[in-house]
Amino acid sequence: MGSRAAGAAVMGAILSRGGRIKQKLEPILEPTSLEVEDVSYQHAGHEGLKGTAATETHFNLKIVSPKFEGQSLVKRHRLVYDLLSEEFKNGLHALSIVAKTPAETEGK
Amino acid sequence: MMSMATSQSLQSPFSITSTISSSQFRRTNPLLGHFSFKAAVCPSGLFAKENSSRTARRHRAGFKRRSSTALQCTASHGPTGSTGALTPELKATLDKFITSNKVVLFMKGTKDFPQCGFSNTVVQVLKSLNVPFETFNILENETLRQGLKQYSSWPTFPQLYIDGEFFGGCDITIEAYKSGELQELLERAICS
Repeated sequence: MGSRAAGAAVMGAILSRGGRIKQKLEPILEPTSLEVEDVSYQHAGHEGLKGTAATETHFNLKIVSPKFEGQSLVKRHRLVYDLLSEEFKNGLHALSIVAKTPAETEGK
Repeated sequence: MMSMATSQSLQSPFSITSTISSSQFRRTNPLLGHFSFKAAVCPSGLFAKENSSRTARRHRAGFKRRSSTALQCTASHGPTGSTGALTPELKATLDKFITSNKVVLFMKGTKDFPQCGFSNTVVQVLKSLNVPFETFNILENETLRQGLKQYSSWPTFPQLYIDGEFFGGCDITIEAYKSGELQELLERAICS
């Protein structure tokens, strides 16, 4: 257990932000589908970010998880935000979230 | 009656304070009008040095003039400016602001000059629905920016409040607009 936690910590240090986002969401939300896309380049230079490196600041997230069942969109987004609070403290600037349950994606 | 120039008038604080009296300034800015100058909350950066003698009389406690030209609040800032940003006074001010206006958008930039794609999207959606709404430019005030993240339990902007309740950010607003839920909610809020 200890070595697994240490391994995860090491991996967290090496992984990109996208990788860390996946690593934080997967164990809790057990998604059937999870896509994380870094779109920071689309927001380079806009107000509030001028002068900073435009990498790993803006992400698109699409997640399908049974854990969202019965939850409003605000609750789903808050759940994701809470899991990623460390990332928001360390330079993650914006996250565009599409959060659905498996039932909602069926039939598409 | 709320001035529709609220968010625009915050864009050039130094020119405002030099050309109008502070009481006029407060009247044209409903959010600032709710700030108690005795409270440990400072609309930091909004008062120019040339007015410091007048504002210094009003600021009872918790303010310290720094070497920069703007008076800054020390009471609610942690080392990084983000810890303890939501003071009880700020919370009360925000409570009052979001309940005094049916639709409130905390955004980057102003209604006429949004400075972020997500904020702009919500502004355009609201404009297309012809609903009156107040905006506040969080880029103008770092204390409010950080305090709002705690107040709303939401780390990003824009933040839309309808009828005193947090509604969501850009994604949620778009989803609700597509489903028609946004229009229904706005109609109920405006008519109530």
